[in-house]
Parts: sequence; structure tokens; C-alpha cells
Amino acid sequence: MKKGKSIRSCILAIAVILFFGCNPSKKWNYLNEISLQDITPVGITQLNGHLWISDAKNNRLVSIDSNGQIVKVHDGFQRPMHISEENNKIYVPEFLTDSIKIINGDNVEVLELTEVPDAPAAVDVKDNITVVADFYNHRIILQHHKQTVIIGEEGHIQGELYYPTDVALYENKIFVADAYNNRIQIFDLQGNSLQVIGDKNNIQVAMGLTVNSNELFVVDFDGNRLLIYDFDGNLKQVLNKGLNNPSDVVLVRQRLYIVNYGSNSISVYGKT
Amino acid sequence: MKRNFLGILLLTFLFVGTSLAQSKQVKVKVDGLSCPFCAYGLEKKFKDVDGIEDIKIDIKEGTLSFLLEEGKIFPEEQIRKKVKQAGFTPKEITYPETSVKNEKGKIHP
Repeated sequence: MKKGKSIRSCILAIAVILFFGCNPSKKWNYLNEISLQDITPVGITQLNGHLWISDAKNNRLVSIDSNGQIVKVHDGFQRPMHISEENNKIYVPEFLTDSIKIINGDNVEVLELTEVPDAPAAVDVKDNITVVADFYNHRIILQHHKQTVIIGEEGHIQGELYYPTDVALYENKIFVADAYNNRIQIFDLQGNSLQVIGDKNNIQVAMGLTVNSNELFVVDFDGNRLLIYDFDGNLKQVLNKGLNNPSDVVLVRQRLYIVNYGSNSISVYGKT
Repeated sequence: MKRNFLGILLLTFLFVGTSLAQSKQVKVKVDGLSCPFCAYGLEKKFKDVDGIEDIKIDIKEGTLSFLLEEGKIFPEEQIRKKVKQAGFTPKEITYPETSVKNEKGKIHP
């Protein structure tokens, strides 16, 4: 009898631990706002836990502290847009010069491109694979050493793109913010469209995205929202508090930093 | 020394005055400029045009403006074409002293 009771207690304890400790339905909650004052943010990334922002209006990249104060500046870019980080380097797509710059310490280098974009809106780099969102050509350029794969063409059906503004590589898949088709598309490295996400959720410009191990985060620029999906495309949560024309999002140490182009600020969310 | 300074000052005023007199402003009303990619896309399509400078995008007003050098010709049809290349349809163009209403609406964004 005692043995049965203790087994029941054990099962109950495990259930409690599973529910409260590993509950996958934990929600993202609004924490605070960071004012950026004179910075007009478009893109955001992180380098060693520090936030870096592309200030397209002022043609610069800035690193800020948790209060929004500028701690470092890289000047002289021509409309830097959706930036990314890989191996302690920041990759900067220059919208006006059709080039990708690399900030490596205090040096700025130029990434050699095999195919020239017309207004690169975003770049991501993982394991020597580079993907560039080629805004005016409605396509993604994938570059691996000297090999190039062109993904998508102008259009509205699956596999086609209409003004892509962000791109992310994750586990050999390419996540594309298919901005003016108001959806996300996922491609394999050969350029085959695998999945469309968000096309039923009334997104009004899918401008930016980021991905972690089980969630896809999408900023809805004119809808003033951030939508969170699982990898099956199920909408799990919608965030809107503090959001004002959000243009990009980054995940750093279990915190979501959502850039508000409309209010020169960052909305911070945490999972509780 | 004083005479030299006055001479330089006079030349500066003359130069600035001449430059202002030579440039004429063109303003294009465009819908849908709230997005940074749209605004800077429009800037990109105009920046390489010969004879124009000081390109400005006013997101709140929804306008593109630039200065056209004296003697340079940039017909309205070409302005409309450039705006369309950027993904928009021009609404109203002020060029340089006339005001012409064009079709409304936008192709994208």
C-alpha cells in the first residue's frame, strides 16, 4: 500500500516537474522598452551578447548598451539594412552600393559576390554558405565558395518571391521574409520551396525574421505585430505591446529584441 | 589682408548665389513610402541619374525631392519611369514650375 502511494507520489512529482519545468507552452511576455533617440533602426544582430543596430538613415552601425546608449559606431555605410553575425564578424548589406561589407574588428572588408544583387536587403552567413535577399530582383542569392544558386523569381505562387527583405539560414534550410507576399517561405539549399508559413494570418509586410531551435519569429511591419510559429507553421503566439512598425528581431540569451522603426526603440520580451 | 578677406567673402557669396540659382527643385508625391526598403529603394533608383543631386525622401509627406542642375533635362516621363522602376506609381510631380496630376495608386508596396 505504502509502495503504491510512493509510486503515485513519484508520478505526480514528475508530472509537476514536466509541467512547470519543461512546459513547452511557456509564453513570451513584454519586459521593457529601450529608447534609441537619434538612431533610426532597421536591422539588429548581436555580437558577443552586445546588440548592434543598422541605422540606415544615418548610414552607420551602432552598438548600444541596455539603456540604448551608443557604445561604438561604425560610420560610412550607404543605407545598411538587415545585418547578421557569424564568427565574430558582422555582415552588412549596403542597399545603395549593391555590396556586402564585413566588419572584422576595426576593419571593414568587402565580401566577394559571384552574382550582383540590385539592392541587397539582408544577408546571413553560416558554415561558409552566404545568402543574400536581392530586393529588386525578387530572389535569394546563395553562394557557397564559388558556386551560386539562384532561388526564386518575381511572383506570388509558392516558390516565387515579391520583394524579399530578410533571410536566415538554419539547419540547411533558408527562411525568407517574402515581404510583399506577406508570408515566410522556406527553401532547401538547392532552391526548392519546402513550405509557406503565415499566408493565412493577414500579415501586412513580413519584413524581418529570426529562428531558434523550435520557433520562427516574424515581424509584421504594417500590422505592428510579431508572430511566433512552430516549424509546422502553426501560429503559437502574437506579440504587439510596444510594437510600432517593427522591422527586425533578434534573440539573445532568452530575450527577444524587436526593433521598432516607427518609434526609434526596441521592445524587449522574455519567456516566463 | 582685410581686403583679401572681403574678396574671399564676396566670391563665396557669388558662388553660393550662383549655385542656388542654377538648381531647381523637383518634387514627386509617392504613395507607400512608410517602409525603409521602399524609401531607400526610391533613393537608389534616382541616385545615379546624371544632373540631379540632394535627393531627399520625406517619409511623413510621402515625397521624393531632388535638385536638377541648370541645363539638365529630366522629362516627367523619365521621372515616372524611374519611380515605377522603384516599384511605385507617381501621383503628382512638380517639375520645376508646373504641377501635373498623374494616375493614383501604387503597384507595390
